[in-house]
Amino acid sequence: MRQTVLQTKELTVSFGGLKALNGLDFQLCEGEFLGLIGPNGSGKTTFFNALTGIYRPAAGSVLLHGNDITGAPPNKIYAYGITRTFQRLRLATSLSVLDNLIIGNQRNLNLGLWYNIFNRKYFKQRLQEQIQIAEELLSRFSRDLAVHLFKPVSSLSMIDRRRVEVCRALISEPKILLLDEPSAGMTPDETRALMDELQHWREQYPALSIILIEHEMELINKVSDRCVVLNYGEKIAEGRYSEVSKEPGVRAAYLGED
Amino acid sequence: MDLGFIAQYFVNGLVQGITYALVAVGFTLFFGVLDVIKFSHGDVLMLGAFTALALFLGLDQLASPAWLSLIIMLCIGTLAMGLLGALLCKFLVLPLKESPPLNTLLITLMFGSVIRESVRLFFPNGSNPKPFPALLPEASINWGNLNLRLDSVILIFTGALAIVVTHLIIQKTRIGLAIRAVAQDEETARLMGIDFKKTVLATFALGSGLAALSGISTGLYYQEINFSMGLMLGVIGFSAAVVGGLGSIYGAIVGGLLFAFLQTLGAIWFSVPAYKDVFAFAVIIILMAWRPTGLLADRSAERV
Amino acid sequence: MSDLKTKLVLLLGVALSVIVLYGFLYLEREWEIGVLLVMVPLGVYFLKRANALTYYQHAAREMPRFTWISFALGVVVLIMLLRHEDFALLMLTTVLLYATVSLGLTIQFGFAGVVNFAAIAFFGIGAYSMAILNQHFLHIPDLLIIFFSGAISALLGALLILPILRTRGHYAALITIAFGILFRTFLEVNDVLGGPQGLRVSGLEMFGWDFGNSFPNELGGGSFYVAYAIVALVLLATGYLITRLIEASWLGLNMDSVRLDEVASASFGINGPRWKITAFMLGNCFAGFAGAVYAAMYGFIAPASFNLSDSLLLVSIVLLGGIGNPVAVIPAAFLIVVLPEKFQVIQEYRLLLFGIVVILILRFRPSGLMPRGLRQYFAGRFG
Repeated sequence: MRQTVLQTKELTVSFGGLKALNGLDFQLCEGEFLGLIGPNGSGKTTFFNALTGIYRPAAGSVLLHGNDITGAPPNKIYAYGITRTFQRLRLATSLSVLDNLIIGNQRNLNLGLWYNIFNRKYFKQRLQEQIQIAEELLSRFSRDLAVHLFKPVSSLSMIDRRRVEVCRALISEPKILLLDEPSAGMTPDETRALMDELQHWREQYPALSIILIEHEMELINKVSDRCVVLNYGEKIAEGRYSEVSKEPGVRAAYLGED
Repeated sequence: MDLGFIAQYFVNGLVQGITYALVAVGFTLFFGVLDVIKFSHGDVLMLGAFTALALFLGLDQLASPAWLSLIIMLCIGTLAMGLLGALLCKFLVLPLKESPPLNTLLITLMFGSVIRESVRLFFPNGSNPKPFPALLPEASINWGNLNLRLDSVILIFTGALAIVVTHLIIQKTRIGLAIRAVAQDEETARLMGIDFKKTVLATFALGSGLAALSGISTGLYYQEINFSMGLMLGVIGFSAAVVGGLGSIYGAIVGGLLFAFLQTLGAIWFSVPAYKDVFAFAVIIILMAWRPTGLLADRSAERV
Repeated sequence: MSDLKTKLVLLLGVALSVIVLYGFLYLEREWEIGVLLVMVPLGVYFLKRANALTYYQHAAREMPRFTWISFALGVVVLIMLLRHEDFALLMLTTVLLYATVSLGLTIQFGFAGVVNFAAIAFFGIGAYSMAILNQHFLHIPDLLIIFFSGAISALLGALLILPILRTRGHYAALITIAFGILFRTFLEVNDVLGGPQGLRVSGLEMFGWDFGNSFPNELGGGSFYVAYAIVALVLLATGYLITRLIEASWLGLNMDSVRLDEVASASFGINGPRWKITAFMLGNCFAGFAGAVYAAMYGFIAPASFNLSDSLLLVSIVLLGGIGNPVAVIPAAFLIVVLPEKFQVIQEYRLLLFGIVVILILRFRPSGLMPRGLRQYFAGRFG
């Protein structure tokens, strides 16, 4: 049986009086591709934010390989090998694509004063490594994307920006990847291409676990091993998509009660 | 240390505190509505005082009675500054809405600088302090060491009244409702049919009017005004609003009174009068480090 | 473009700049300066039309080191040309020193997004440190005193770090303003530091050369200000180099990231406070160095020179030039320091005019006269 990498117990996040997440129990196994679905406002992005340390949970705990990481700040979470994309893209639009990707690769950067300022020869070598890594990564997702490496992100189309955001999350070879509606605005073909590439990535990194927030049920059905359904901050169903989609509670959450 | 002595300090502090509170309330209003720090607030205050002075000098030539002059000065001063606030909003602040907030801060900071320099350069003999007419009754009551000036009482009362009226406007009127709605959620307010632009303009006008009132009160109390008084008052008012919690009117009042209290404390403790400001500012900086969101405001979560 | 051609273009650019700057500094009559003031924008306009500016920019990107060296040498030539003009040298040195402070502000504000409205206070800390250390510790070499002045500025700035980090952008602005006022008030009430009358500062003495002496006759003779100008130039050139290297490294990248989106940066492991602290202290260090040299040059400092309006002037330099662009601060500093000296009208209405100019810039061209381009790590292919 695959081991559990990420787990939450009774996770609760509140804003003033509103409980955005209410006692959520959750488990993610190694190598698993998990779909996180639920109507708008059900707490999916809040969940990501609580996992990644952007929101402090009011109660409950988050466990990584059994270790309690509840309330760890975002940069610690990154150090643990957990990266994410944002629902509303958060790229540095005035910086180049290369800059944005290198930012994602913090873990592999030497931030010492000596290397950056005085040992420029060494720095140049490291820079060239990063450029190569970035180029390879971008071209996996789109043939022409690498051409834009030195251009500002603001000159890219929305779809290309989404791809860059995914690449930024992947460049540090994370162990857990949180994707928040990465295919928003993409055509079915583009979405398929994105998912195909993620599958390739998983073959290369079998230990990578992914949580995908999506609204397109077809997609969830195709790529996910398992789903979790949220509604009003609570888990209302869990299991394979084919099973979960038949549950009356789930249908009611999306379509409303009759 | 006898009671009268302390009571004197107390009353002085209270007048100062109400003045600061008025300025702080203005800051909080701007911030609440537009997430904007209007750094020119203090200088608008100063300009209000100078406008009133100019009016007085004119009215004095016409031999107008004191009470009439006062009323005219107040009305026209607050209206004029209200108008200036609205113009500032329309031409400098609203156009910068999509820019980083720091740009708005900078532009209002510079605008304040421009107002300050304009008064210094263009008001006759502007670089020197100018006497402000004593239009309030000069009577005072004496209890031992306490010399309770009647005008202090009037000013405290007026200031408090202004704050209460502002509070009522915000809470009870339609425009106040609009202001609160926009402060909470601009997008929804717009969807609900609230005219965003008008509301923001009204807020700026209201805040600037309050500043003018503050300026005129200060002038009446100290019987002197100078072109740089706005700078200090602006910084103090802003600090007060921040310490109390930006966006909270009660916080602004508490902050204003607190700052005056700290200054009074500093004045009593330190023999050198100038140290009172150093002391007050140092405490404020520490308070801001300890409670960055303010003493009263509740923490707002950032939408990710 | 061949190497030789590139170098020629760059040298031509330097030569033109030196001539124009010499004109501004040397000429005294208002109409003469006025003519220059009209000719320069016209010249720039025509150069732009002939694509000469893009040509030059290309050349500068190809050979950044050569550009830097040639400009530094160009300023040396300028200093030599002006070596008998006391006042011109004084102005030039002030420009160089203000530009150094502005570079510090660029790192703080343009890179890491830390607002600082107390730049002149840190400049002042450097000045007062020089005054006191020079007076009381005669055996410590002046070069070391300059270093200490910078360090003291940085350390005192560290006092503000905690409140600045814990609060958002506009609050941090307020804290620096409050600090500036606090600093000025503190100086005025403190008799140890000279009080409102100020302090006398002894001149520099470095490598055996007493800066009070006139420039040696063997090299053409001249004002004693020449030595100070050279020191200021070395300071600026070093500061510029450091700023550029920071920009073109992971340090500058992280600072930009923190400025643009602190939450997203944290999500990728970037420690926001670390970079803000680094930028803030480094910038204040620059200001401290510049202040120390300034104090020694003027021989006298008083609290009245360290006002909020001076801090705003420095911020205006950064905004006018182009925020985040290290090159831009130099021409901007030149305009803001020299023009008021040449035109009486501008001097009187200085703060008013610059306030209006900055308002216009922020309203209509917020990226400044010379907007910042994309990061270029190295010459050539990399962007």
